Amino acid sequence: MKEAKIGVFLSDCGGELAKILNFDAITSFVKQLSSVTLVAKGNEFWRGEGLKTITDAVKTKKINRVVVAETLPKLSEVSIVKAAEKAGLNPYLVEVIDLKDHCGWPHRDTPSEATEKAKAMLLAAIERAKLLEPIDKVEFPAVKSVLVIGGGIAGMQAAEDLADLGFKVHLVEKTPFLGGLAARAGRFFPTDDCAICIQSPASDVKTVTHTSRKCVYRSGFSEIPNLNIMTNSKVVNVEGVPGNYKITVEKKPRYVNETKCVGCDLCATVCPVEVPDEYNAKLKKRKAIYMNLPAVYPPVYVIDESICKFHECAKCVKICPTKAVELDQKSEKITLNVGGIIIATGFQEYDPSVIKEYHYGEYPDIITNLELARMIDSFGPTGGKIVRPSTKEPAKRIVIVQCVGSRDRRWNPWCSSICCMISLKHATLIKSAHPDADVTICYIDIRTTGREHEYYYERARDMGVKFVKGRPAEISHDPEANLLIVDVEDEILHRLLELEADLVVLATSMVPSEDAKELAKILSVELDQDGFFKEYNAKLRPTETKLKGVFLCGGATFPKDAPTTSLHAHSAAVKAAKFLSAEKIVKDQRTAVVNEDYCGDCEFCPVTCPYGAISLVSNDKEHFVAQVSDLLCEGCGICVGTCPLNAIELRHSRSNQMSAQMKGLLSVNGTAKPLILALCCSECGHAAVDSSGMAMMQYPANVRVMKVPCTGILRVEQFLEAFKAGAQGVMVVGCKNDGCHYEVGSQKAQKKVDLAKVLLKEYGIEPERLEMFHMVFIEGDKFAEAAQMMTEKLEKLGPLQLM
Amino acid sequence: MEGESRMEHEKERETSEATFTDEIRRRLGGETIALCYQCGTCASSCPVAKVTERYNPRDVIRLSLLEQKKEVLSGSAIWLCSSCYNCQERCPQKVEIADVIYALRNIAIEEGYIPNIYSEFANGLMNEGRIVPISKFVEKKRPEYGLPQLRTAGLAALKKILATTGFDKIQWKKEGP
Repeated sequence: MKEAKIGVFLSDCGGELAKILNFDAITSFVKQLSSVTLVAKGNEFWRGEGLKTITDAVKTKKINRVVVAETLPKLSEVSIVKAAEKAGLNPYLVEVIDLKDHCGWPHRDTPSEATEKAKAMLLAAIERAKLLEPIDKVEFPAVKSVLVIGGGIAGMQAAEDLADLGFKVHLVEKTPFLGGLAARAGRFFPTDDCAICIQSPASDVKTVTHTSRKCVYRSGFSEIPNLNIMTNSKVVNVEGVPGNYKITVEKKPRYVNETKCVGCDLCATVCPVEVPDEYNAKLKKRKAIYMNLPAVYPPVYVIDESICKFHECAKCVKICPTKAVELDQKSEKITLNVGGIIIATGFQEYDPSVIKEYHYGEYPDIITNLELARMIDSFGPTGGKIVRPSTKEPAKRIVIVQCVGSRDRRWNPWCSSICCMISLKHATLIKSAHPDADVTICYIDIRTTGREHEYYYERARDMGVKFVKGRPAEISHDPEANLLIVDVEDEILHRLLELEADLVVLATSMVPSEDAKELAKILSVELDQDGFFKEYNAKLRPTETKLKGVFLCGGATFPKDAPTTSLHAHSAAVKAAKFLSAEKIVKDQRTAVVNEDYCGDCEFCPVTCPYGAISLVSNDKEHFVAQVSDLLCEGCGICVGTCPLNAIELRHSRSNQMSAQMKGLLSVNGTAKPLILALCCSECGHAAVDSSGMAMMQYPANVRVMKVPCTGILRVEQFLEAFKAGAQGVMVVGCKNDGCHYEVGSQKAQKKVDLAKVLLKEYGIEPERLEMFHMVFIEGDKFAEAAQMMTEKLEKLGPLQLM
Repeated sequence: MEGESRMEHEKERETSEATFTDEIRRRLGGETIALCYQCGTCASSCPVAKVTERYNPRDVIRLSLLEQKKEVLSGSAIWLCSSCYNCQERCPQKVEIADVIYALRNIAIEEGYIPNIYSEFANGLMNEGRIVPISKFVEKKRPEYGLPQLRTAGLAALKKILATTGFDKIQWKKEGP
């Protein structure tokens, strides 16, 4: 490596910081340090003339390392690093510290101690800078093609967006027809129009404006260029890496040629096999060759192979005028090459028959909301009439029961979030068509949180829908009168009611799609505690998964209404487009690197890595060594903290760099108080230090802050090393236990701190000299308080006695 | 600080005067009371509530969570539960309602809110070995139905059990207001 020539740039914040820190003393301290070839002082260095001083020095090769003491956290660092890179320096040879928020402001009452701390901070930065190494960027291919799994409204809208943007899109739907739950629901709130209506694609030339919407069957959806729709198909295998996946799709036989079928219905007319139509709440029968609805995509019949008699019968083959029925079709495996994957597998209605006291499945006149939706749909089995399944007579008295299987810790503890609105929608649709119908909704809480949703509730009351606050205990059947009786307490009247009903509708819980588990396994993505697909971050990255290249939308993450599903679908499409549009993925190698001489045969790091970035590969000597994928590695260092042999390091936080920094921070004292090393993660921990300084909260200058990528990188021996280097106490400051930016880092650190405490005790060192803290950026007060408390505690304990 | 302040908070909770809800939650059977979200499934499942307005399990839980200790302990409601456990089976929040009622009865007895009938039961048990005294009528009727005469209770053994469990130390005589 070339000899280090370090330029040190000291900002005094327009003279303000100089009122606290003695810059003359600091400057002469820095000047006498080895490898420092340039020291400059100014108002600021992150923009304008100040920044030019740095870039000029880089351009003229006066310096090959940059250390800047700035006064603005993060923002200054971004700006300086970018400018240095433009001037020809590798961006990872720049070290920026904040003398204002980490030193001057929080220690303004003790200026001489603050000055000494500033020296220590600069010494640490310079020592680290000496050991920094240039880090390169690497490129990976990104195939401009996306697989969308699930042909409901979420999948269709995401697919449409991406196809319109020029991506090759494969839309895979497991059932024979597109539309998902939406197609069955018929109508959607809050617009009460067709559930299956989506925004028209840009390629629809006849659409008046781009915002026009049309039903999916008429929108020209299937004619969108770049869109390949595969129904009756299932993803069975996924290989490869983000940006370049090889997908195997199994396409089941339809037994009807999609290019020949004209949808004339002759086949169904002659088909002798009949079964209750599950799709239509079993309120009518369907044949072995069938379509779900008159209006479906693709408008092609399908044969239910579980009941068809095939060649024994073959009446459909004989009658088909276009010779479209092909009984010898076989399932085929299709291989796709895509860069990204969108999971849009939706949710499904829970089967309430497990709730014995409601007798669903036992008494035919107890149905679910989705089954009621089929009745309300004029394409449905009753042509839009509300009937009692037992007699097919019109239902006059209807009781709707909310929270069936939802908010129920015996079955599904979550609130399914959309059932209140579904029931209100159904109640008002029934009331509009049959004003004399008696509709009662039994509820625990009515939740109408969306825009315009409360008006729905208002309208329902206005139309005469009755509301009983109380969750029914039991639904029983009077066989003589063929009546249902709902036992419920009207909590407001404080009265037990027995509601008589012709039809009881259960607002059943919405649960994860039945193949979520299998798909999660194929894709190696996580499910949450309830079985829905888990997003990367609930607040900020709702449509991404922890795996780059795999995205989520719609009900796959949680039950959603149509407006939210649309938002989600568009968001997932944008995220996938952003990831793949450059057709390459550029990453810097701020990643983990394995020393193969030490590494061998253990499985700690591959198991611990939250991103699945480490795999074991066989080396020549019949051993397995860890191999890090630069594409998947996020540079957190949790593997480093886990390796028992120190065989893995981060290129930008190597052991020697961390040691040098630690020694630097602890070798200048200048305070009577016990020195404390605060090891802060670069995410929340370090940010909390920033915010305490920005708010001018005071804590003593003996607390020295060292930034590490994630507290997960820390090893037990580093705590011991800190005591050896002069620390009287060590604070580890990480993200919240359940909020680590690298998933598990702060939890791992906590465990190591607990372990180290045991060891310290063995060595005769008071374990309370080491503490772990968890905080977020806005908890600067918590940091200042912790630093103060730690100092007081150590003062009480007295000086550390090392054996 | 995380660990430390949490500990301090816990300590504070233990030492400060416990709320009625806390008191119930610390009892065997009372642990789940705070999960209640007042859906009323218990009330409409309850065979007792069907016949009298004096008992509604939802009300008992509501009043307890609102710290109405005296009203709950001195009232008759908690003694009317028939322990059929319908409510407990059906509660969507898995509140162990019938067990909560037992916890409340235990607290009531400790605090001296004992309905006369229970004092009588207790005294019967301690003195005669039976909760319900055997009436002359019953003694006369049994042979008519071919039933054997009732055996006398093993009073000595029973007293030993009652002493071991501390049952005989309870101030049964003190009657509830």
